[in-house]
Amino acid sequence: MKVPAWWIKSRGWLLLLVLAALLCSPALAGAETMKVSQANQSLLSEPNFSGTPIAPVPTGAEVTVVTTSGDWLKVEYQGNTGWMHRGAFAQAETPKINPLGMLFGGGVQQTKSDEVALAGKGFTPEVEASYRQKHPEMNFALVDQVEGFKVDSAKLQTFIKDGGLNP
Amino acid sequence: MRRRSLCGIFLAAALSLVWGCAGMDYASIATIAVKTTAKAAEASRPISDSEEYYIGRAVAARVLGTNRLVQDPQLIAYVNEVGETVARKSPRPNTYKGYHFAVLDTDVPNAFACPGGIIFVTKGLVLMCGNEDELAAVLAHEVGHVANKDGINSISKARWTQVLTTLGTETAKQYAGAGGQIISLFEGSIDDVFKTIVVNGYSRSAEEAADAEAVATLRKAGYDPGALSALLTKMMAKQGAGSSGIFKTHPPTSERLAKLKSIAPATETPSKLEAVRTKRFKSVKI
Repeated sequence: MKVPAWWIKSRGWLLLLVLAALLCSPALAGAETMKVSQANQSLLSEPNFSGTPIAPVPTGAEVTVVTTSGDWLKVEYQGNTGWMHRGAFAQAETPKINPLGMLFGGGVQQTKSDEVALAGKGFTPEVEASYRQKHPEMNFALVDQVEGFKVDSAKLQTFIKDGGLNP
Repeated sequence: MRRRSLCGIFLAAALSLVWGCAGMDYASIATIAVKTTAKAAEASRPISDSEEYYIGRAVAARVLGTNRLVQDPQLIAYVNEVGETVARKSPRPNTYKGYHFAVLDTDVPNAFACPGGIIFVTKGLVLMCGNEDELAAVLAHEVGHVANKDGINSISKARWTQVLTTLGTETAKQYAGAGGQIISLFEGSIDDVFKTIVVNGYSRSAEEAADAEAVATLRKAGYDPGALSALLTKMMAKQGAGSSGIFKTHPPTSERLAKLKSIAPATETPSKLEAVRTKRFKSVKI
């Protein structure tokens, strides 16, 4: 069977097309792992904060992402599966693989569209930043300090046990 | 000629795919269009957990604009241990960024729950508590306000409707780098919450609901469920001392106490482990 000459000439471009499609596919990235950055986190039975806690997940633990639903991630950790909010993870952990960067170098310019997405959500870090500029008398530095008050999981367990309380 | 056209189409498709993935400007424009349409569809959505968090942070910043924080690490750690113990047993054990407990350096007894989970208790109220179970009762009551979203619910419905109406057009304004009406609506929301939690106090029904949540939480955590009514009785005896602070924001009325006693009477003889807890409460320097 004779191969058409146009196929020979254009197959390089077709290969490039297929390669680009594969690299853009999330499936290529495989199972994504994410590191928990917030204290006192748990796997929850449902994708909302009212869900029943299934198992605790300590700071620094690496979980495997099964699927996502909006800001919620269904993850596996030590044989348990449950939901965790995106806020439990460090922001920088999200993009693990940048196939376009690998192909063409440089970062993908998404910052502006991310800002637009945040603005569309309502009260966001950008809204807080503008509010802070307008109200320098508000003490956000102390709020940041208060948010740094965290209880170590192991110490809390000891505290509960010593006080005869329910874990 | 036809083959060259086909090659051209494939090349254009490949470039479109790559540029599409790279998030070029026209993709952003499409995103805005989709989001604007979505905004119209979600015109009646409630305040999200992350929005609640940013409102709570601003309310806390306003409280801390006129109040100092107690910086004693032992007291901070202890209050957070008690608070986290009760928060875990509350109807809302997790929030967007978790619960954080802090002590305000004032002798006026009071406690505030900012939306999202920052909870303040004053040094004056910690001193009024005679033991760990009473401190746990105060914190469980405030966690109850967070769980019931009482702070967020004090934002006027008209203001939130205006926020949602504004968002569709605001997206485009933000993209153009301009500020917007959303900032003043955020400001108004902070005012609504601040006036409720710090100045006027919650409604009687919200107070009684938070009391009931606190009793259930104390019971689940293993604390004395009667500790809240014991503290309230103490507060009623001191009510003549003033009408500000907690006496204004959380008025200890006889009706409130009667309801509390019906679900959890005050304990007269503390258990052995309650005595252990009281000992560690007294060992913390306040």
